[in-house]
Parts: sequence; structure tokens; C-alpha cells
Amino acid sequence: MPATDRRLTDLVHTAASRGATYADARTVEREHEAVSVKDGAVESVTRTSDRGLGFRVVHKGAWGFAATDRTDEAAIRGLVDEAFRRAEASASVQRRTVTLAPVASQRGEYRTKLARDPFAVPLAERIDHLRAVDAASVGPNIKTRRSSMAAYRTRKHLVTSEGTDVSQEIVEAGAGLSVLAVKAGRKPASRYDSRLVRQAGWEYVEHLDLVARAKRYRDDAEATLDAPLADERPTTLVFAPEFLALLVHESCGHPTEADRLLEHEVAFAGTTFMWPEDRGKLRYGSPHVSMTADATVPGGMGTFGWDDDGVPAMKTKLVDKGIFVGYLTSRETAGALGVPVTIGSARAEGWQHFPIVRMVNVSLDPGTTPYADLLRGIDSGLLMDAPASYSLDDKRQNFHFSTQSARVIRDGQLDGYVRGVSFQSLTPDFWGRCDLVADDWELHGFLSCAKGEPLQLMRVGHGAAHARFRDVPIEVRE
Amino acid sequence: MTLLGADRLLAPLRQALRDVPADEADIHVHRRRAAITRYSHSSIHQNAVSDETHATVRAIVAKAVGIVTMNSLEPSDLRRALTEAASLARASRPDDEWPGVADPEPIAAPSSFHEETAATTPEAQANSIGAVCAAVPKSMRAAGTAQIEVTEDAVANTRGVAAYAPATMAYLRALVQSDTYVGSGYAEDLSMRVDGLHPETIAARAAEKCALDRDRIQLAPGDYEAVFEELAVAEVLRVMSLTGLGGQSVREGRSFMTGRIGERVTGESFTLVDHAMDARTIAVPFDVEGTPRQKVMLVERGLARGPVYDRTSAKAMGARSTGHAADPSRYAAGGHAGHLAMAGGPATREQLIGSVRRGVLITRFHYTNTPDPRAATMTGTTRDGTFLIVDGKITRALANVRYTMSALDLFAGIDLLGPQRLARDWWSSNGMGSILCLVPPIKVRRATITGSSPL
Repeated sequence: MPATDRRLTDLVHTAASRGATYADARTVEREHEAVSVKDGAVESVTRTSDRGLGFRVVHKGAWGFAATDRTDEAAIRGLVDEAFRRAEASASVQRRTVTLAPVASQRGEYRTKLARDPFAVPLAERIDHLRAVDAASVGPNIKTRRSSMAAYRTRKHLVTSEGTDVSQEIVEAGAGLSVLAVKAGRKPASRYDSRLVRQAGWEYVEHLDLVARAKRYRDDAEATLDAPLADERPTTLVFAPEFLALLVHESCGHPTEADRLLEHEVAFAGTTFMWPEDRGKLRYGSPHVSMTADATVPGGMGTFGWDDDGVPAMKTKLVDKGIFVGYLTSRETAGALGVPVTIGSARAEGWQHFPIVRMVNVSLDPGTTPYADLLRGIDSGLLMDAPASYSLDDKRQNFHFSTQSARVIRDGQLDGYVRGVSFQSLTPDFWGRCDLVADDWELHGFLSCAKGEPLQLMRVGHGAAHARFRDVPIEVRE
Repeated sequence: MTLLGADRLLAPLRQALRDVPADEADIHVHRRRAAITRYSHSSIHQNAVSDETHATVRAIVAKAVGIVTMNSLEPSDLRRALTEAASLARASRPDDEWPGVADPEPIAAPSSFHEETAATTPEAQANSIGAVCAAVPKSMRAAGTAQIEVTEDAVANTRGVAAYAPATMAYLRALVQSDTYVGSGYAEDLSMRVDGLHPETIAARAAEKCALDRDRIQLAPGDYEAVFEELAVAEVLRVMSLTGLGGQSVREGRSFMTGRIGERVTGESFTLVDHAMDARTIAVPFDVEGTPRQKVMLVERGLARGPVYDRTSAKAMGARSTGHAADPSRYAAGGHAGHLAMAGGPATREQLIGSVRRGVLITRFHYTNTPDPRAATMTGTTRDGTFLIVDGKITRALANVRYTMSALDLFAGIDLLGPQRLARDWWSSNGMGSILCLVPPIKVRRATITGSSPL
């Protein structure tokens, strides 16, 4: 057994001997490499790493957590005192004691399946690839071009006082693209994507065909620059999977996080409009709308072997044929609600963070209609390619989204661009307008879902297919 | 976290930079002890402390830059990081715009560290929360955060820069909700010193708002007179900072200042500076490149005066760095205006509200964004205290409203300004951004409301 592994076991045993009703110790090592090219030149080459240990106890019915990146024995032993002292302090202002929903102890290993380790790809190969992408982005009015590639590796080891001992190695690879078109007398137009990331190896970057994508982004931005303003009237909107991935994230993923209904996040991230008494009754959307949380999706950024409570990856329905049915839970929130854990969603960004409820892969379930057939049913409408600005209220009910690129749909065909399109809506009203979901489901990855105090940026995954929404009021601004 | 102090923190950096295998190099170290206690339903639910070290090493070879970040101060680890960074630089391509690492310059003495605050215990943090909960009426419940942060920053480079500063931050917030109706109120204190937090006062302010926030009605979209409290103004300033106050955004044509420096961009009542060394804010007196932070006039009586710069954007724009380089893992390159000070005035809260014939009072915003960065347009919903003002008096509570408007248009209509206080926008309040504002409450002639949340 490596020294660190022994330390984790020692820590939870020590906690148990001091009276903790629960303890876990978690080491996390993270590596990240990124290369970016701007306007043909290498903008940055970075390599990041960190490692440390987080230690959690439930003592006197309250949590205490301490974390350090020091590796000496004194610092690690000091974690026990820190965590107990914090738990004691918590217990002094407490009306609700911590109850963890039961989960069988776990043992094992999880590793990302990958064909080519992205860290092993020579830097020169990555730079050459990005330069080719950059060259494909050049356009008459493109003023700024950026492209990047990144690789991430996370090694985690969790040991709990209940006998769980699990290790994981997660590898992710991804790319980013952006272009900014500027022309005198016109409003600048940008097209970008920072969600091209997957739990996978270099093969995912190759699969993205970044050169073709760069040309498309260039063309979208150039065309948007000169496009007329859209007509401000209710219209049929078709959302590309990339756009819907964010809508699902913001309007379904967040409000189904169970810590929101316990008001753990009320002062910052907010609460929800989906309360326990609404479960099985609240009409969230049309019967075409079903959403699933699934930590087992191959390649998903929210896929893992176990969450940071040691709960094995699971799958559960959040919205079923338009009806709200489920929550994302941790052991603590399931315990507080008095329900079994149907999906383990407790995750911490790093060793220094306390695990909180986070999305896994939360996806809009696919329909059965080909995308072309979905378009054929539209006399007049807009295709919303990718989100630009977005803003939501503290209950995830009132939202506003604008789009980077809006394409005109006329008689079932794409026919040019318009600009200035945004829309605001209330969540159930918006999803209630969905009358068809296509079958072209695809997975997207987010690197930095922000939540918690201190801030934790979490990887999450979202799948979606093209979907059609009728009579959506849009706003048009210069 | 035990403070290392200047000598012990800079010594391994200097040692590692000797005989560096690169043309030039710099190292920025950020050490942090973050102690955060969170509560809801008047009960602590999270209590965490972490000790972290972040060392960012840049090595430059033939104008190509390699960057390595890790969390160790061991000289051998730092040297390994420098070698790795040099290796990345060699495998990279030259950056013709590389400005070189900073030259040594006089740096002001640190002024944002308070020893008693650094020594705050978990019991004291819990006690402050207990005091808030005890001060809230029985029919209400409180939630929020008590935070103590202790930091040490150091920068050293091969040209002889050696800068060090410790800092402390104390923060307490309370969101108070009614147990009997839909309504909430919010208040917070932010200070370099833990004795700058006043739990009972925070509880009273939040509870008072919560008591007013009942029997909400919805407001129709339209233009209204408005009173923006400090947190609401800080949110608008954040949008200006991120979209328009950095040199790179001006250069790339993304800023409201692009092509308009020296011109009027908003009303005469609006003056904005970035001033990290204002004694009332919390700051390190140098940036991550080791350049001393300068006071920069951004907008003066409505006239655009210029952005802040890091070394790269300064070189590209023919200017000097103003000491506004930011952590590249968190902020876009090109200069980050993170210590804003907006000119205030003498108006009291009563005068601000009293001057409104029919309008809205906004306490703070939630999850704002910018649909039109070039115009510094912000959209966001209000929360925790939105009220209708009629004939100079708060008459009704309002359901949260969506506000969408250019910051420049909003500030063009300033009628009255109150006194400044230290505040952070919603995003910065959990560390997602890092913008501190000395910011006044304001009364404006026009704020555009574009929608309402349900009751």
C-alpha cells in the first residue's frame, strides 16, 4: 500500500476513534496542459498541476472539513484537529443535524477509456494543428482569431470510515475556437465554442474536425456581420444541440439540485421552483420533454466511477414526458429529504473543496424524428446555433438568452442569417412550447459550472438533439 | 496557515531563479488560507478551511513563453517547474509581442493586512453566524456565509523584481427569509478587518428588508426612475470592467472606449477610477507581473480617459503597464480593472428614495450577463429586496424584475449619489470574479425593466 493510501486509512480510523460518526479522506492530483494560438501566433503554452488532501468528518451531527497541499506528517495530522474543531464550531449553531442516506461500501478502480493519451501528443503536433485551424479562420473581416487545445488528468483516491476505498483516473481532452468579425459601421459579430470537451483521449480532438468547424464559425461571423435585424415577433425556434445543452444545464440541471431546496445555496446560487411537493405533478414542459441524469454516459464530462461520497455512478430521470420527477442528490441531501440515493451527485472540484451537489451528465432525451424532417415542418422560423449571453434568476425560472448566430428557416430550408436575436422566458413556459425533439442526440461538455462558496468549477456533461419550439416571443436589439 | 513573510517566501523564488535555463523568467506565488462557514435555516451546514499554495512560473526563450503552475515552494520543485517552462517555451513559437518581464520599480508598502483578522478562529466565525441568527425575528430564518481569507503574494523575476504582500479579507452575509410569506432581505459587510463585520446590524438590515418584502406585485416592463443600492451598482461596474476597461478589449474593438478615448461616453456625474491603493479597499500593491499598481482614471465626468494595461497590452498600445496583469488562469489577458472606485456624493438613503416620483429600488442582482459587450449592456434579475417607490416612499414589494440596459445609458441619468462603501458584485462574492468596488448608491432618471419573475 503506498504511503498516501495508508495515511488516508489512518486519518479515517483516527477520526472514528475520536468519536466522528463519519469521516472520509480524499487525495486529488490534477494535471492540465493547454496550448493556444491567437492570430497565427502561439499565445500561450501552459502546464498546471496540483495535489493535496481533503478530510471531512461528521461530529456532533455537524460537518467539519480541512484541506492542505502540504505533505509532511504534521500538516496531515493537523487536518484531524482542524476538521474536528470546525465540526464543533458548526455544532454550536445548528438546528439540523447531518444524516447520510445509506450506501453500501465500495471498492474498486475507474479509468477513462482512451485511444491516445492527450498528454503524449507532442507539443509541436498540437501547435501545427492549431495553426491549420487558425489559417482556416481567416476571413476578410475577421479581426481576432483564437484556438486552443487542452488535456486534463485527475487522479482521486477516496477512503471512508464506512469501508469505501475507491481510486479513479479521469482523462479529458478538448478544444476551443473563437473568431471576432469587425467592420466599420456594423456591430461586431463573434462566434465561439468553449464546450468542445470530452472524457476521452486525443481521438476526440481529431474527431472534432476543427478545420471544418473553424471555417463554419468564420462564415457564421462574417454573415452575421452583414445580416439584417430579425423581425421582433413570436416565431418558431429550432435550437441546435449545443444551444440546448446550456438551456438544459441552466433550467433543468440547476433547479433539480437538492441542496438548493434545502437552501444551502440560497444566499448565492439561489433556490429552485421545483419543490418536493411538486414531484410527480409539476408540468415542467411538453410531453416531448424528458430529461435524464446519467453518470454512466461514455465520454461524458459528468461520468465517473464513484462520486465524492463514494456513491457508484447511477442514472435517474429528472423530467419524464414533461413532468418533474427527480432530483440530483448527495448522501446528505437524500438523508435530509428522507429518500434513498437514486443518483450520487456529490462532487468537489479539487482536494481543497467540500463536496456539494453537482450535475453529472444531465441530458434532454432524444426523439425519433430526423433533423431534416423537423425542419420540414417549419414555414418560417429561426435556427439558434449557439448561446451568447445568458442570465437566470435565483430560482432558475426567469431566463434570458441571446445567440451568437441565428439562421433563417424558410419553407423547411435554411436561408441566410439575421442578427440581434434574444429571448426571455419562464422555464415551464419555454419547455412547454417544445413540439418535437430530433434523433440527432450529441454530447457536450462543460468545464466550469460555477457554484458553491468558495467557488467550485465543475465538469458536467449535457446531451441534446435539435428541438423545435413554437411561438416563442423574441427580442431584437441592434 | 502560518505566514511565511517576505524573506521566507521570496528566498526560494530567488534561489530557483539563479542560473535559470531561459533568457528570462518570473515566478508569482499566491498562498491562501480560506476559512468559509456557510449557514441556512439558521444552522451551519458547511464549515471548511483550506491551505493552498499556487506558484506560476514563466520562462522565456527567444521570445517564446512557457508557463508552469504547481503548488509547491520547494526550491527543487520550483527549479523543475522553471526547467519545464523553458522546455515548453523551446517547443513553442516566438511571440513577437512579448514585452519582457518587468523591471524593478518602487512598490508601495502593503496596507491590507490585519493580524487579528488572520488569527480569527472557527469559534469566532460560528459566533458571528450565531449572532446573526439570534438577531433575526422568530418568524424569519437566516442563511449566508462567514468568510476569512488570509493571503500572501510574492513576485520575483530575473531582472531583480522581488515583491511581497500579505492581505486579509473578512466577509459576512445574511439573507433573511420569512417563514410565513414569500419575501427576503439581504445585507453584508466586507472589510479587511474582522472587526469591520457587524452581525447584528447585518441581521437588522436584512430583516427590515424582508419585513417590507411581502405581498409582492408584478411590475410591467418599461422605463422607470430607480434607486440602485451599492451592490446593484457594483454589478453594473463589473460589466463595464469585464467588457471595456482592459487594454486588450480596447485594442480588439470590443470595448465601449474603442475609438472614443477623450470623448463623452456617459453623463457628467459619472467618474470611475481603478485605485488599488485606496486605503478603504483590499489589495496587493503589485500585479502578478510584479508591476506596481497605478491609479488609473477610466472615465472622468463622463469622458472616456483610457483603460488599464498589463505589459503585453501596454506594449501593443504604445503605453506603459498600469500594474493590472491578472491571474491568466482566471482572466483574459490584457489588463483587469479589479479595484474600482466610483465617485459618490452626499445624498442620504432617504434623499435617494425621496427624489423618486414613481420608480424602483433595487437591492442587488443575480447572475447578470452582457448581451451587448460593446455597449456595456447588462441583463439580470433583481433579488432580495425590490420595491416600488411612489412619491418618494416605498409603497409595495415587487416580484423580482429583469433589468436590461447599457451601463453608459444608466449612468447618463444619474441624479443623486450617496456615499461610497466597499462592495462586491454577485459574481465576485464567491470568488468567481475578483472585482472590489468602492461604490455609492445612486438615483437615476431611467432604468429599463424588461420583464418580471412570477410572484
